[in-house]
Amino acid sequence: MKHTLTIALKNQSVAVERFLRVARHRGFDLTKMNLEMAEDAFRVTMTVVSDKPIHLLTSQLNKLVDVKHVTLESQLQQQAI
Amino acid sequence: MTGAELTIDLLAKHGVKDVFGYPGGAIMPIYDALYGAPVKHYLTRHEQGAGFAAVGFARSTGKLGVCFATSGPGATNLITALADAMMDSVPLLAITGQVPTAAIGSDAFQEIDVLGMSLSCTKHSYMVERPEDLAEILQEAIHLAQTGRPGPVLVDIPKDIQMAQVPFHPWLAAEDTLPKLDPNQVAIANQILSEAQRPVAYVGGGVQAADAQNELMQFLEKTHMPAVTTLKALGSVLPDYEYDLGMLGMHGGKAANLAVQECDVLVCIGARFDDRVTGNLSKFAAKAKVIHLDIDAAEIGKRKPVKASLVADLKTSLPQLDCFVTPDEWLLHIESMMKEHAWRYDYPGEKVFAPYLLNQLSQKMPKTGVVCCDVGQHQMWVAQHMKFSHPSNHLSSGGAGTMGFGLPAAIGAQVARPDDFVITVSGDGSIMMNIQELATIRRNNLPVKILILDNQRLGMVRQWQQLFFEGRYSETNLSDNPDFVQLAAVFGIPGQTVTRADEVDTAIDALVNSQGPYILHVCIDDKENVWPLVPPGAANDEMMTETVK
Repeated sequence: MKHTLTIALKNQSVAVERFLRVARHRGFDLTKMNLEMAEDAFRVTMTVVSDKPIHLLTSQLNKLVDVKHVTLESQLQQQAI
Repeated sequence: MTGAELTIDLLAKHGVKDVFGYPGGAIMPIYDALYGAPVKHYLTRHEQGAGFAAVGFARSTGKLGVCFATSGPGATNLITALADAMMDSVPLLAITGQVPTAAIGSDAFQEIDVLGMSLSCTKHSYMVERPEDLAEILQEAIHLAQTGRPGPVLVDIPKDIQMAQVPFHPWLAAEDTLPKLDPNQVAIANQILSEAQRPVAYVGGGVQAADAQNELMQFLEKTHMPAVTTLKALGSVLPDYEYDLGMLGMHGGKAANLAVQECDVLVCIGARFDDRVTGNLSKFAAKAKVIHLDIDAAEIGKRKPVKASLVADLKTSLPQLDCFVTPDEWLLHIESMMKEHAWRYDYPGEKVFAPYLLNQLSQKMPKTGVVCCDVGQHQMWVAQHMKFSHPSNHLSSGGAGTMGFGLPAAIGAQVARPDDFVITVSGDGSIMMNIQELATIRRNNLPVKILILDNQRLGMVRQWQQLFFEGRYSETNLSDNPDFVQLAAVFGIPGQTVTRADEVDTAIDALVNSQGPYILHVCIDDKENVWPLVPPGAANDEMMTETVK
């Protein structure tokens, strides 16, 4: 199953390493990623593939101190686009 | 004020009186600031010892444990303790020295990317990049380690920042971000409970983390719900509770595992469905509707689907469960299982039976005492055969299962609770993993007791080789162990060896009544196994109980 997530991170380069580590460790393969530096935050859009339910990733990402919020684009929306 | 002075000052302001550590080049300014400071430092003989002493301090009190190490190998030696604290949700602050800012990234002497290494074994971590950030980072780190689901936090401080003049700004936590109970989920949980015929409470480490033993016991006493406990939560359910079934899981009691397998409602209270608890997950409590109480939303549905989730501090969520009374028919069945599967201590022959010895120790040692285990067969025997009245009295490396945990954890517990009886129960394998900490016991005249159950084997591995690897005993024979009593004597610690069952009672008396540190070395049967055992891939009601020798 493919999912696209938007993650707002505090403006720290280590934050990127943290969420990538979590995605790998929890069993989600990264297929696409875009990172932009906004005024006070990194904004990351990434697409991951896994046979695991996506809440297993979003709930872990939400625990990271560096993560401000995680938004999930549903698979359905993705297909409509 | 220098960064080093500010670090010590902030620790003192946050009530930290004791820290554990080991100095080295990149943390020398902090050790200089410690000199004469109101924070007492305990020098261990290895940084891993410092990490586990801080874990022992934290787990035996519920307070923050603090450890120091220098850059490079000093910091890497802390990593195992950080990982252990991460797995068991222990509030820990690790402060490491780092090479000066200008040298970072140059492969300088004793430079290792500690921030990078910390990512998978801390709740959060920092490397301080600017002197003006230090005060805020330290205050946030102290807060994070102890808030929500506790965990280890690492602050890596370059040497130049320790030496720089730094400003102090008080830091206040952002508004309470802890989760709030969802009333709809509370209503669903209470509806499920009201229909329960065979409920079981599955109690985990969250009870200690939330300091919610009173709320738990009120819930159990009102509902009479049978309770099973994880390794880490032992002591949360008071030992005189009528329906205390003890530990569940791979080496849990038969009654505990059968009750869970038969239950129709499982109330998970601050636990996480660890694989050592569940056995074959698809067959675990397969008939049960699950109500999960936890402060960590990421644990909900991680391993087992739930019907209701109460995501909040247990102190808040437990009292929300309406009182109902467990049906008598189920309680009668539970009582009969408890009788049928009670532990037995009659054992033929002259050899020492470790379960009997530990049960006797449990009865003879003070009820406020602390038992710090290592990892292996002895750890499971402690969990099965000793009783605890609070989870802070039983320190066992649960999630990580770290051999070498027991001795330094006991040092931390003894420092934290100087007037309490503190004992490490270890095996002949585990004790050698941090044996150097005998020097810390002697240096500080700590009255830590040491019990070694010696089967001249890596017993748990040997047991699995016997059962699942056709008796091919690869690298588990330790019959060339040193003489442990002589070894302790070199560190000024007295003790004795016992080899026969009829010596056990007198030896335990000598151990319990000794004034200072003491070692009791007990030779046990090398073929003794831990029973019952849920074999790999099996359900918890498919326990092996046969006494294979």
